[in-house]
Amino acid sequence: MAEFSKQLERLEAIVRRLESEDLDLDEALKLFEEGVERLRVAREQLAQAELKVKKVLEIESPS
Amino acid sequence: MGQSLDLFAAASAEGAWTVGEVTRRARTVIEAGLPPLWVRGEITGFKAWRSGHWYFSLRDKTAQLRCVMFAKQNYMLPAPVDGMQVFVFARPSVYEEKGDFQLTVMELLSTAEGGLWKLAFEKAKAALLKDGLLDPARKRRLPLFPSRIAVVTSPDGAVLRDIQSVVGRRWPLAELIVVPAQVQGAKAEASVCSALNRIRRLPVDVLIVARGGGSVEDLWAFNTERVARAVAAMPMPVISAIGHETDVTLCDLVADLRAPTPSAAAEAATPDRSEVLQQCGVLGQRLARALRIASRHVVERLDRTGDRLVRSIDNRLERSRALLATHSARLDALSPLRVLGRGYAVARDVDGNVLKRVAQLPSGKEFRLRVTDGEVNGRVQ
Repeated sequence: MAEFSKQLERLEAIVRRLESEDLDLDEALKLFEEGVERLRVAREQLAQAELKVKKVLEIESPS
Repeated sequence: MGQSLDLFAAASAEGAWTVGEVTRRARTVIEAGLPPLWVRGEITGFKAWRSGHWYFSLRDKTAQLRCVMFAKQNYMLPAPVDGMQVFVFARPSVYEEKGDFQLTVMELLSTAEGGLWKLAFEKAKAALLKDGLLDPARKRRLPLFPSRIAVVTSPDGAVLRDIQSVVGRRWPLAELIVVPAQVQGAKAEASVCSALNRIRRLPVDVLIVARGGGSVEDLWAFNTERVARAVAAMPMPVISAIGHETDVTLCDLVADLRAPTPSAAAEAATPDRSEVLQQCGVLGQRLARALRIASRHVVERLDRTGDRLVRSIDNRLERSRALLATHSARLDALSPLRVLGRGYAVARDVDGNVLKRVAQLPSGKEFRLRVTDGEVNGRVQ
């Protein structure tokens, strides 16, 4: 699972690029598809996440 | 005389006290006659032994008293310094091995404002300040969407429960890495430092150091220079939530963010899931809109290009047509038909060869004569 922040950063970059650059249709469509997929994954992560708690046991580090 | 005889008589193995008997007796008498009491004086000759025990004397203008304060009594206290006016609550006794009259100190309070704690706090704070560790410019930004949140706190207790519940509600995408530490008592300082040390090597986005409220002694580990320096040296941003809102510890001061409570620390460390979902919705709308605009641009460009194509073909045809007209005019000027029009004629033999000379036209030769409006046959006479 890609880290959520990377997912969202990429999504924002895609939207900005689509909004600002004069792309050919092929490229625009490709970006759009990637954006939609990332959006889907991000929403899924948000909806399905359950907190994982890991305890790191106290082991005296050798000093 | 008799008395002195008696004195000498007592100076026998049976009559004399041993050193041990005297010191033991003195100790019994003193401990019975002088119950634990508060003593006021100035500290002098202070020495902290490796064992953790403190040895010093209390003095005033007229007298001096030897004191010992054992590690199990002093571990929570910052060390006093010579010249400090203090109150001690102590048990007067005799240290038999040395025959010393001394106070066994159980409590030690400074008469300075805020006491020993305040003095030690200010001293450590000054050291941190000197090294630039309290500089606001050092404060780092917290990550927007943390993947791993580490927590240093007591493993059991409300603090961890609170943090876990807030993170679970707001940002369950994160993994909570709990590194338990003793947050009060003699080992707290070392325990917190060792927990921080372990986290240093983990891939963690943000760290919460938390402890519930307590007395100044309870919070002391978080006021030590050692813990403060360890917090300042962490490679990831640190949120500190120690004690109640009114207690500001050194740990709070060096952290990148100070939160009033452990729950507030957890909130500061995490985005709100529902807000992020909303943000995703907005991004989705922007994505769709951007595609519509992008495709419209493409269609417009296509239209423009089509227009240019048609126009360029038109131009091309126009030029060709003009060229053709020029050529045909020039061709027309050169046409032999025009010459014939002016009254000239061309004679050709039956094979079509042009007959230009007299020699080509012997008598009786048949020929065809082309004039402007047609051809006639003839014969040379």
